[in-house]
Amino acid sequence: MTDELIMEAVKNGDLQQASLLFDRYNKRIFNFLARMTMDRDLAEDLTQNVFLRLIKYRNSYRAGARFEPWIYQVARNVFSDHYQQYKNKFNDFIDVEKISDHMPQREEFENVEEQEKILHQSLAKLSHEQRELLVLTRFQHLKYEEVAVMMDTTVANIKVKVHRAIAKLREHYFELEKI
Amino acid sequence: MDKDKLESLLIGYIDGTLTDTDRLIVEQELAQHETSCLVYEQLKTVVQAMHNSPPVEPSGRLKTSFDQVLKEEVERNGKNKTAFFHPTIYRVAASVTLLMIAGGIGFWISRQQQPNAELEAMRKEVQATKMMLMTMLENNQSASQRVQGANVAYTLVKADDEIVQALVSALNEDPNTNVRLAALDALSKFHQDPAVRSALIKSLRVQTDPSVQLVLIQLMVSMKEKSVIRDLEEIVGDEGTLKAVKDEAYKGLLKLT
Repeated sequence: MTDELIMEAVKNGDLQQASLLFDRYNKRIFNFLARMTMDRDLAEDLTQNVFLRLIKYRNSYRAGARFEPWIYQVARNVFSDHYQQYKNKFNDFIDVEKISDHMPQREEFENVEEQEKILHQSLAKLSHEQRELLVLTRFQHLKYEEVAVMMDTTVANIKVKVHRAIAKLREHYFELEKI
Repeated sequence: MDKDKLESLLIGYIDGTLTDTDRLIVEQELAQHETSCLVYEQLKTVVQAMHNSPPVEPSGRLKTSFDQVLKEEVERNGKNKTAFFHPTIYRVAASVTLLMIAGGIGFWISRQQQPNAELEAMRKEVQATKMMLMTMLENNQSASQRVQGANVAYTLVKADDEIVQALVSALNEDPNTNVRLAALDALSKFHQDPAVRSALIKSLRVQTDPSVQLVLIQLMVSMKEKSVIRDLEEIVGDEGTLKAVKDEAYKGLLKLT
């Protein structure tokens, strides 16, 4: 059964079907949020919020619309709400120095490759928008066309912005590598 | 060639999305300019690093929590089948009546309580902060909420017994290290309070989490708490304790004795 048909069923009151969508999408949404927040525990909480919103605001899903961009939009909104809520209260939204402590699980800590650590730290130095573009297109492998629809802009604009983000990432990456 | 243009072409070249004409331009550029070759190699490194970055796995807690939330929503959805007034005019009439009654009660209460209103507002605000903090600290579903709860506690000027007890429980029993550390951070702020001091000393005896042990030992030393000397000696002599913790305990002993 397609994601869209399952979501239609959820919208029509068959909430139990939401667990199928959870099984299909929880890892991808968790990965998107983990890379955006650089914090596993927080990413799990926010992922939970995404699926809670999927159930609570099921009526906002438009019949016939593609499910994947819709759930990513929900995830972007959840992240944005969290960011707005806490950026002024707590000044440690992303602490670049602590990223490698937050990202791997404790038992994985010893195995984190140096390159991966530098990559995480370089990503954290990008602007919120640039990081999001790279996470969506390069880690989540969404097409430029899909991201353009999600961000309500043109494919050409997304391509230019992604290229600029990669160029910026290169600068941060090789600056950090020198240290 | 313009820097932005070159970088964009190089990324297209790495992605394999260039037209034949643009590909030739890039290959000529790379053949002629060493600096462009360096930029190309660096861009290729970051593009590949992103491509090869392994996905992060969520813990089993995510699925368990979702199942619980879904169950609650399904139950709530079943209960929400309410009786409606028909036709609509009755519903409107019922709403207006309710509003009038609520307004009347509100007016009567405000008349009765005006002198104490400001004091009451302050008391309510303190109570609301405390409620929020306790709810966050006791949220079993969310470690980050518990960390935030402890962070809020840290911002308090004074903590009452209930908050101290919740922080001590988090310090000694929470399964998540970040929560324990945040609770310890908050408690250390109130270490002048004899009850908090005693709870911190007791905690040193029960902690097995090395990260928390390290911070606790440092805190005991900064508090000049000589009563923990025997505990520190035990840690130094314990074969099962991590070397870094033993070293910290040894340093603590040197400073306290």
